[in-house]
Amino acid sequence: MSTSGSTFRIDGRAAMFAGSAVGVLLVLVYVGSGAGRWFDAALAGYLIGVLMGVFAVVYRYLVWIQRPPTARLNRRGWESFRRKGRVGHNAVGLVGLVGTNLLAQGFIRKRSTARWAAHQLVFWGCLLAAAVTFPLTLGWVHFESVGQQGSHYKAFFFGIGTGSFSATSLVGFTTFHLLNISAFMVIGGVLIFLFRRTRDPGALAVERSGDFLALAGLFGVSITGLFLTASTMWLEGRYYAFLTNVHALTVIMGLLYIPFGKLFHIFQRPANLGVHFYRAEGARGVQHECRECHKPYASAMQVADLKEVLPAVGFDYRDNAGGNWQDICPSCRRKMVTAAQVARVGGFG
Amino acid sequence: MGSPLIRGNMFVIDQSRCIGCEACVQACEECGTHRGESLIHLEFVDRGATPQTAPMVCMHCEDPTCAQVCPADAIKQNEDGVVQSSLKPRCIGCSNCVLACPFGVPKYFALPDQMMKCDMCYDRTSVGLKPMCASVCPSQALWFGTPEEFADTRRGELMFEFRFGNQLVPTKVATVVNDRSDGPVDPLAEPPSRWQDDPFGLEEAFS
Amino acid sequence: MARIPVTDEQLIERYGPHLNQAPPGGWNAGLDFDKVVNTHCCFCGQQCGIRLKVKDNEVVGFEPWYDFPFNEGKLCPKGVKRYLQGSHPDRLLEPLERDPSAPGGFRTVTWDHALSRVVAEIQRIQAAYGNDAFAMLSGVSITNEKSYLVGKFARLALQTANLDYNGRLCMVSAGAANKKALGMDRASNSWSDIPLADVVFVAGANVAECAPITTSYIWRARDRGAKLIVADPRVTPLARTADVFLGLRPGTDSALMGTILHVLIANDWLDHDFINAHTLGFEEAAAEVRDYTPEWGSKVTGVPADRIVEAARLWGTSATGMLLHARGIEHHTKGVENVLSCINLGLATGKYGKPGCGVSTITGQGNGQGGREQGHKCDQLPGNRDITNPEHRAYVAQVWGCDESEIPGKGITAEEIVEAIHAGEIKGLLSICFNPLVSLPDTKFTAEALDKLEFYANIDFFLSETAQHADIVLPGSLQEEDEGTTTSAEGRTIKINAAIDPPGNARRDWEILLDIARGLGREKYFGFSSTREIFEEMKVASHGGTADYFGMTWDRIEDEMGIFWPCPEEGHPGTPRLYEGGVFAHPDGKARFHPVAYRPPAEVVDDEYPVWLTTGRVISQYLSGTQTRRIGPLVEQYPEPLCEMHPRMAESLGVVTGDIVRVTSRRGEMTLPARVVESIRPDTVFIPYHWPGRQAANQLTNRALDPVSKIPEYKVSAVRVVKAEGHVEIRDKRVTALEERRRGDG
Repeated sequence: MSTSGSTFRIDGRAAMFAGSAVGVLLVLVYVGSGAGRWFDAALAGYLIGVLMGVFAVVYRYLVWIQRPPTARLNRRGWESFRRKGRVGHNAVGLVGLVGTNLLAQGFIRKRSTARWAAHQLVFWGCLLAAAVTFPLTLGWVHFESVGQQGSHYKAFFFGIGTGSFSATSLVGFTTFHLLNISAFMVIGGVLIFLFRRTRDPGALAVERSGDFLALAGLFGVSITGLFLTASTMWLEGRYYAFLTNVHALTVIMGLLYIPFGKLFHIFQRPANLGVHFYRAEGARGVQHECRECHKPYASAMQVADLKEVLPAVGFDYRDNAGGNWQDICPSCRRKMVTAAQVARVGGFG
Repeated sequence: MGSPLIRGNMFVIDQSRCIGCEACVQACEECGTHRGESLIHLEFVDRGATPQTAPMVCMHCEDPTCAQVCPADAIKQNEDGVVQSSLKPRCIGCSNCVLACPFGVPKYFALPDQMMKCDMCYDRTSVGLKPMCASVCPSQALWFGTPEEFADTRRGELMFEFRFGNQLVPTKVATVVNDRSDGPVDPLAEPPSRWQDDPFGLEEAFS
Repeated sequence: MARIPVTDEQLIERYGPHLNQAPPGGWNAGLDFDKVVNTHCCFCGQQCGIRLKVKDNEVVGFEPWYDFPFNEGKLCPKGVKRYLQGSHPDRLLEPLERDPSAPGGFRTVTWDHALSRVVAEIQRIQAAYGNDAFAMLSGVSITNEKSYLVGKFARLALQTANLDYNGRLCMVSAGAANKKALGMDRASNSWSDIPLADVVFVAGANVAECAPITTSYIWRARDRGAKLIVADPRVTPLARTADVFLGLRPGTDSALMGTILHVLIANDWLDHDFINAHTLGFEEAAAEVRDYTPEWGSKVTGVPADRIVEAARLWGTSATGMLLHARGIEHHTKGVENVLSCINLGLATGKYGKPGCGVSTITGQGNGQGGREQGHKCDQLPGNRDITNPEHRAYVAQVWGCDESEIPGKGITAEEIVEAIHAGEIKGLLSICFNPLVSLPDTKFTAEALDKLEFYANIDFFLSETAQHADIVLPGSLQEEDEGTTTSAEGRTIKINAAIDPPGNARRDWEILLDIARGLGREKYFGFSSTREIFEEMKVASHGGTADYFGMTWDRIEDEMGIFWPCPEEGHPGTPRLYEGGVFAHPDGKARFHPVAYRPPAEVVDDEYPVWLTTGRVISQYLSGTQTRRIGPLVEQYPEPLCEMHPRMAESLGVVTGDIVRVTSRRGEMTLPARVVESIRPDTVFIPYHWPGRQAANQLTNRALDPVSKIPEYKVSAVRVVKAEGHVEIRDKRVTALEERRRGDG
């Protein structure tokens, strides 16, 4: 799979920002864990993984957002959002879009209910797992035993005590098994995805290893996490040390994989919200008329944007007469290509 | 130049032969990679003036404009040089590709809010089968086979280059021209020509 | 009592046409299948090979059949979407009896009840009015075996002379002319000869839309450098690319061909050796066209004289050439003469019996070729035998095990049967595979006739517009629900394989006929227990006739992907190309020229009706549309009839594309949207005929028949065209979307 046109030069600025992000995170770890007092040394490996992951994601994100089409859309999206007199309207709209689009993911449901269910399971499973593990790993949350029975715990966030609960209560059980619940959700989703793949030879053909790697990674992290629970609950801790290492390794590899593979869409997808505002802004503005058929076919803003972006990515569709192929609508382009080809075989038509 | 071949075969589109029957349009949605969505284009050039129709599949550019203008990195060329539909998780539905493609190929679908495009029936071509459209095309305006078969059975020469203004666009899919040495197919340079300006001899004082 | 039982709207609501949009389970269900069946498309005479994918007794999709030599995987849109006719909500699953009080106008009855009612009515009518007062109409979208069975059934079970078929609206002009001139009714060549031709002359055939796969054969010839001549009042998609286009006035085909013959003679572009050795009657034919100069021809046909000369030059000076014709020259009161005038061109230049040479009709219906050979034409017995010939009768009587006197004589033709019903001479009707209410000319007349029937039984898989008039409807089988053989336009007999069983209580057509025969007490002639047994008898019955299938076997047909008849004895390879070495099928081996004098069509334009109307087909619909008007994607492709007219006419009428026009003839009128195109003659309008009711082009057409073939003159009527003012209802509400949302969810 090639990403056409990408160059493998190190982007110093992006690296600097990514490094800064890591620095900020370290400060937060220091503060959140009471200068390391509540930091769980057993999670050090995960912390390193997280720091590396953060660096990689921020770096990759910055490189991506600087690509000419992305940068242009990013800028236009925010401009559209901040358009005078529409900010309030747009802000409300944004909340709605986050709900329907990013969280409920209705657009996937329109494609297929099964696919949507699978994605929701994986999505919420991952979110839940992240909400539990990241604060623990970064030392922001820790538990202390309270009272005499040894079964009562109190949770601390940034060193500030919150509620206490009994480990044997429903709240306690749920709290300690959140990760298991999330693992089951993720595994369920992954299995639905895989089942659909096997029944869909077409999807299989265009599938690239990246997709399976993502599914395999999610599955690996979830299943090794469950093994840890199984070891504690039913095997009196047998293989625990070994399983801990395996789990840590899969998690760290997973974190490092995020920027390179399919999972990076988690960070790209929100750009879709920008597109909504860009599109709405375009629809309100002047429409571009096709040079040939004189029918409007796109927003003048987007055509103008493309005419600026294209040279930046190495294309020149201008002609000698001062026109631009980009001023012709897709339908007329197809017809003109046909007419030109027909002329080259003897003028049928 | 990249190879036009995929498992020894190549795709050739000869629009001049199109009879507008839409077998390709109907067969396209039967393809396993995009069941239920027809991605090929077929329209009359100008029905009032001529029955000529314009079919268009993805030409699979060597350097695809659609992929380069995609803000989301969602359009990829695979190892066979086939430019695939947008990656579903990534595509943000901006339609940059739809507007920028010099051949007018990508289609935006409002329902999943995504772009889909002709992927040369990769489920079929990757195992040596013909794509759906080229399988059924009664006039063989859409053709898929080996270069030897083409040379043995077809008139004309293969052309893998198009010119749109200053931009030269080399493609994986070929079209057919009488004489390759006349240069790339250039929609802005070719004078529009019609087979018969006067099919019913009206200008010859007949009625 | 064969009036429609309830209103049109109620019938449509219950029985459709509804639109099937997606495969069983929806597009997202994935393409899971248990088996793939090699068989053939059910639409059109090309009978393209196709592989149907089957799951749980439903056809769920298709795969191109690359190995089948005729089409090598190619299909037109009808073939692609054909699988959507199965698992259709309109599919008839139970026998129905007319009942105006029932929802939709029909109540469900048992097979026993339905069959005994049919038998009782046949017996009652025949007892009261005579055997011939009960007629049968059949069609040729059914297999050879069913065609054969229908012929035998009508003669020996119904014991009526009045059996005819819908090929009467299709191939009979070509058939009659070929028999007269060449002694045999079959396309002269397998299609593999087309690519070998140096000139291809397409006359009155919209190849791209009505025989789409033939396009590839013509292009193969052109890839070798062949020239293309097209004669048509419209610039069809293939005509667009022609080297010589002859845009003739409707109804002037024989004048055009006569003029070409004149030019051939004048320039001595003739094959004298061939004419002398292998033909009779050249002098008479030549004398007839002595005055058909290019100037005269140009005046009559409206084609520039130099183009006629150029066409003649190409045809006359090319070493090889194929002339392909179809309904465009055959749907005329001069259908037979038009074909004879084409054959004259082939004979005069020696273009027969050699590679790349021939004059062939492109048969239209699915089994139009095979169906007409097995004896369900009013004048024929199996093997293309003549029902009036005592020897032929004796042979068939011997095969059937009946007395020769038991075989009725020659009956009347399809349109004449409808006229006899209208006149009250025929009182009862059994029909299968025929929708005359859409396909016969003068729709109003046909509807009146149906209303007069005392009893009408119909065998069909959907409730066609004609079936709506029935007293009893017997649910028969779709092509994919039964096996058998058909014979394609090329003369290639091929094997249809059953992909599924008939659903619900629907039954195979032949089983239904056998049961009726049993009810009539004639089971001794119908002891068949399988289609194959019918084939075995049919083959014997054809033996010694011109269409001789005797040497074919069930297995060979399948293994060899078709056998071309004649195949008179076992081991015979079949005969792809006829008349090799100039040996024709007349007893003396010689072909006959026929003098063809041009005469005008039955109806000509005048001050009152100043515009020519010609009718035809569109690519996405098949014949009367009983099947294809129920397949959503095909309906979307061309949802309603459009009236094609030239900008000059449009301008004079003040019409632009999309405006509604009213077209009126002496038979009726219709309103429909105009499509203004330069691809039609300025004096002519075109309307496709696939739709019923107020959208039926046949409301306008003329019942005038060819005196020999009795084909109606669909291709020429005189009409008046005006822009419709005020409120106009154009849609017949015959199409209601089955699913609002196209995509199922998986």
